[in-house]
Amino acid sequence: MSRPTAPKTSFLATLMDIPRNVWSSIFRNPLPSNDLERSATSFTNFFLHIHPVKVHKNSLRPAYTFGLGLISFFLFVILIVSGILLMFYYVPSTTQAYDRMLDLRGSVAFGTLLRNMHRWAAHGMVAVVFLHLCRVFLTGSYKKPREFNWVVGVILFLLTLFMSFTGYLLPWDQLAFWAITVGTAIAGYAPVIGKDIQFLLMGGTSVGQEALLRFYVLHVAVLPAILTLMIAIHFWRIRKDGGLSRPEDADPKVTLEPMETSSAPKASVLEPKKVYGFQGLVRGPLTKVGQIPDNTVFSWPNLFLAELFTFVVTLSAILILSLLFNAPLEEPVNALHPPNPAKAPWYFLGLQEMVSYSAFWGGIGVPGIFVLLLLGTPYLDRGPKGVGKWFSRDRLLANTIFITFVVANIIFVIIGTFFRGANWAFVTPW
Amino acid sequence: MAVNLKRSSGEDSDGGKTSRRKMLGWLTGAGLFGSAALSAVSNFVFIKPRATYGQPQRFSVGKPEDFPEGTRAILASRGICIVRDGARLAAISTTCTHLGCTVGSADTGFACPCHGSRFDQDGNVTGGPAPRPLPWFQITLAPNGEIEVDKDIEIAPGSYLTL
Repeated sequence: MSRPTAPKTSFLATLMDIPRNVWSSIFRNPLPSNDLERSATSFTNFFLHIHPVKVHKNSLRPAYTFGLGLISFFLFVILIVSGILLMFYYVPSTTQAYDRMLDLRGSVAFGTLLRNMHRWAAHGMVAVVFLHLCRVFLTGSYKKPREFNWVVGVILFLLTLFMSFTGYLLPWDQLAFWAITVGTAIAGYAPVIGKDIQFLLMGGTSVGQEALLRFYVLHVAVLPAILTLMIAIHFWRIRKDGGLSRPEDADPKVTLEPMETSSAPKASVLEPKKVYGFQGLVRGPLTKVGQIPDNTVFSWPNLFLAELFTFVVTLSAILILSLLFNAPLEEPVNALHPPNPAKAPWYFLGLQEMVSYSAFWGGIGVPGIFVLLLLGTPYLDRGPKGVGKWFSRDRLLANTIFITFVVANIIFVIIGTFFRGANWAFVTPW
Repeated sequence: MAVNLKRSSGEDSDGGKTSRRKMLGWLTGAGLFGSAALSAVSNFVFIKPRATYGQPQRFSVGKPEDFPEGTRAILASRGICIVRDGARLAAISTTCTHLGCTVGSADTGFACPCHGSRFDQDGNVTGGPAPRPLPWFQITLAPNGEIEVDKDIEIAPGSYLTL
C-alpha cells in the first residue's frame, strides 16, 4: 500500500493527500492480502479485537452452533436501536402511554415498523436465547472449564425473560395490564420475601402509574445496563475458556517427549517436567508449532464473513416479519374487566398453565427447581466426557432430564395457547 | 483504632505479625464489603414507597335503598360486590385470591377469567386454583345513613350487617 514516493512538501499536495491520510489514520491496515495482515486485522481494530486471530474449524461448523449465540446478540442490538428510537415518542404515563402507541401507528414516520421490529425481535430473542441454552446443554459445553460461563448464560436467559416481562406492560393495553397483574401476583407467592418483591415491583398495592414508571425504568435503564455487562463477561470468558467447546479428538494430543540426553539419565530427568506453552497463562491447548496438523483458520475472512452473514440473515428476518405482521395492540387498560381468557405472552403460557393448577408450585416451585438445576448443572455433572458433541451417549442421563423439562414446558405452552378458552376452561381449537 | 505496629514488629515473631496483618486485612475487607452491602440495601429502602397513590381502602357506597332486596351489585371500581339478602347486607371482594384478577359474576356465583377459579354466591372456592375463599369486608352503617365499607378489615364470611 505504501508506495515510496518522493516527499512532496507543497501545500496543494498536502491537501490532495488529506482523504488518504485521514483514511489510513483511522484504519491502520489495508485489506489484508497475507497472513500477517490477516492477524493484524483482528487485533488492531477495536470492533474486531474481541475475536481471536485464528479460530478452530469446529467453531465454524454451522450445524454445531447454528449461530444461536450470535443471533441472540444481534437481536439484542436490533432491540437497543429500535428501543432507543421508540423512547423518543413514548411517555410512561397511564393517561398517555396508550395514545402514544396509537400515535406510533398513525403519525410517526416508520413508527409501526419500529414497534413491529422491537416486538418481533423481543419474541425472537426469548426464543433464540432459549435455543442457544439448549444447544450449549445438549453439546455438553457447560463442562470444565466453562462452568461459570454457563452460569452467566443462565442469568442472561433470566434477564432476557425479565426484560421481556417489563416491556410487556409499557403499551398499557388490556393484555399488558392483566399479564403484569398476574405476573406480579405470582412473584407474591415466593416464600418470605414474595410480598415485598411484589410491593417493590408495583410501587403500591395494584398495577397503576407507579408500576408503569417502575417497569419503564427497569426496561430502559436498569436491565439493559445489567444485560450489557453480563454479555461482555459472557463474551470475554468464551475467549478465556479456550474458545467454543469442541470434541476431545478435534485437537490431536501434543506429546512432549523428553529431550535426548547424551549422559546417563539422572533422577531429575525422570521426574515429569513442567511444560509451558507460549500461552502458558491461558487455559487451553498448547501452542502448536509445525508439529501437528493445524485445525484453525484465520478469523479474517472465515469467521467475519460467517458473522456478517448471520447478521444480515437476522436483520432481514426481523424486517420481513415486521413488514408482514403488525405487533398486536389490544383495547386500552380497563382495570375493572379482565379480558376472558386473560393470557400471558406465549413464553409465559407454560407458566400460566402450571399456575392454574397451583400458584406456588406452578409459579415458584417448579420454575425455581428448574432454574436451580440449570445453575447447578456444571457443578453436579463433572464427568469430562461427551463435550462438543450433540446428544453424546456419555451424557444420556443429563440430556434426558433436560429434554424432559423442555418438552414438558413446550406441552404446557401448547395447552395454554390453543386449548384454553373462556375462564381458562379446556377447549379444543377445532 | 490505635495499633502500635512498631511494638508488634519488635516483639512478635513472624507468625504474630502475619496474624495481625491478616486481621487488619480482614477488618478492611469486612468494612468495605459491609458498606457496599448496606448501600445496596439502602437502594431497596429508597425504592420502597412510603406513600402510595391508590384508592382509599375505606369508602361509602350509598344508601341501603340503593340496593333493593335480592341485589348482587358488583362495584367494579371498588373491587367489591354488595349483596343484599332480605334485610342483611354484605361486601364480598371481587379480587381473585389466586393471582389478583377481577372475578366476574357467574350463574353459580363468581368466576375468574384468568385461571378458571370458581366461587359460590358466598365466595367459597368451588373449583380452580384459588387457595382461599373471597374475603368479606367490614360493612357498617354510618351516622348519615350511608353504607361504609372498609377493605382493610376482613370479617368472617357469613357475617352480615343487619339493617
